[in-house]
Amino acid sequence: MKQNLLMGVILVFGLLLVLGLSPFFVVDLTETAIVVALGKPVQTITEPGLKFKIPFYHQVTFFDKRYLDYDAPARDVITSDKKSLVIDNFAKWRIVDPLKVYQAFQTQRGALQRLDDIIYSELRVELGRHELGEIVAANRALIMKVVSDRSNEKASAYGLEVLDVRIKRADLPEQNEKAIFQRMQAERERQAKQYRAEGEEEAQKIRSEAEKDKQIILAEAYKTAQELRGDGEAKAYKIYATAYEQGPEFFEFIRTMEAYKKTFANNTTLVLSPDSEFLKYLKKR
Amino acid sequence: MAWEPKDPWGGSGQDPLDEALRKAQDQLTRLVPGRGFKSIIYIVLAVLALWQSVFIVAPDEQGLVKRFGDIVREVESGPHFKIPFVETVDTPKIEKLHRVEVGFRTDRGRTQFVPKEALMLTGDMNILSLEFIVQYKIKEAKNYLYKVADVESTIHNAAEASMREVIGKSKIDEALTIGKAQIQQEAQDLLQGVLDQYLAGVQVATIQLQDVNPPEAVAAAFKDVASAKEDREKLINQSHGYRNDLIPRAKGEAAQGINQAKGHAQSRIARAEGEANYFLQTLKEYKLAKDVISKRVYIETMEEVMANTEKIILDSKAIGNVLPFLPLDRQSRSRGDTTTQGGDSR
Repeated sequence: MKQNLLMGVILVFGLLLVLGLSPFFVVDLTETAIVVALGKPVQTITEPGLKFKIPFYHQVTFFDKRYLDYDAPARDVITSDKKSLVIDNFAKWRIVDPLKVYQAFQTQRGALQRLDDIIYSELRVELGRHELGEIVAANRALIMKVVSDRSNEKASAYGLEVLDVRIKRADLPEQNEKAIFQRMQAERERQAKQYRAEGEEEAQKIRSEAEKDKQIILAEAYKTAQELRGDGEAKAYKIYATAYEQGPEFFEFIRTMEAYKKTFANNTTLVLSPDSEFLKYLKKR
Repeated sequence: MAWEPKDPWGGSGQDPLDEALRKAQDQLTRLVPGRGFKSIIYIVLAVLALWQSVFIVAPDEQGLVKRFGDIVREVESGPHFKIPFVETVDTPKIEKLHRVEVGFRTDRGRTQFVPKEALMLTGDMNILSLEFIVQYKIKEAKNYLYKVADVESTIHNAAEASMREVIGKSKIDEALTIGKAQIQQEAQDLLQGVLDQYLAGVQVATIQLQDVNPPEAVAAAFKDVASAKEDREKLINQSHGYRNDLIPRAKGEAAQGINQAKGHAQSRIARAEGEANYFLQTLKEYKLAKDVISKRVYIETMEEVMANTEKIILDSKAIGNVLPFLPLDRQSRSRGDTTTQGGDSR
């Protein structure tokens, strides 16, 4: 009999557990729980552990208390310089006051919807104040900080904390992307042309410089050569002059004789008069 | 369904202990029909309890024991006990170097490009294709497991955002060439800061850039720039080559000219000296006997001249009559010869 009673108790417990009607429930360290008595929240549990409730009378709703990931879909925003930008952002948020969230949205999903509205509007407002270049490059961190802080301020009214809003991607719309590719292409073509032209320029400089140097080298050499020649010639003249001045008349005579020898060489026909000095003895005879 | 009556020791029924067991068995089966079923449940429960009360933490893991949703103790690697059914264990791999891929995915050795993640805008409004991996370790297992939901995707998102922020500040040429190490470092610092803020309990070991390329649409143009740079160097080198060929030759030519001139000058002087000395020596003798020597030289000269020339001797009175008949064309030709010969020397 006693055993049967025990079995009965176990069976009832089992049934209750299966149906989710146990008087016990566990709150994990990653969760908080709201205990609701006939539609009225009576207790907020933030500490983990084994908890008690009255089946049927109490309902328990759990909320995640970890930092949650919210990855928004990519959306278009307009920058202050009227350019369109595709922003893909994500946010880290958590539920800090589960009671408020329960009262306002009942579920986590509902809270997320509100959060999305807040973040998106803050993001759009803030990005609308900056130019495209700032968003992509310079001020991204600052913009994200401002959006995070403002979103957090607004979200705290609903018992939510926004830790960080972060722009994952800030890209240009597809049609602008094509324009960028074209500009990049043109830019690179320009660079390539410039490099080649620079090469030509430098090469021409070096070549012409080389040619100039060659000319100078040759001209300098010619100059030196002529000076050397002139010097030699002058010295030779001086030597001749000093020598010939010793006997100008002998020089004239000897030189003339030499000239005769050379000028009246082979095959010259001389028409001589017997009166000439050379032939004077011919005549006398 | 019933207890298997097979003896596990394989012996005969002579053992007294065996006998006793069989008796007990018979009694059990006779007493209640459900008795055998019950004992099976007990055994199953016992095995389950044992199974549930022992766990092993691998060498690269840490064990976190949870009871009713809260952590009650942390254990090192090795075998441990826990209260069955009540306690559960989480064993995060704290020594493992976890890896996150951005811009591509490796799937069974094949890499798949993910353009949505890889293409990013640079600070000078160019688009860059960039793939990288993040390696991290679990620094704080408690935070890693219980503070942040979806840690993996959080790290992935934060890594992407950090890298884009860094690339957004860089110029495309920096990113493609010299700035890689700096980009890696900056992105890593940024990512670590973000993850610490999220209490993710993660230590970023490295961020490694894999492929950093211009987008495919403009890759050819970028390659052409590289080859243009090489062309420039080639042209410059060629012109240096030209110079290196030209200048030594010119110097050689110059040296040749100067040497020729030197030789010429020297030879002129030497000849002049020789001729002068010859003159002076002969002059000395001439001065001693002017008449005789001049006559002798004159006659010698004439002798030579006359020996080599055609001679026509005419009386001065007859010249006028004969001259028209002389073959002057031949004469003039010969004269030309002699003059060229004579002009050569002094």
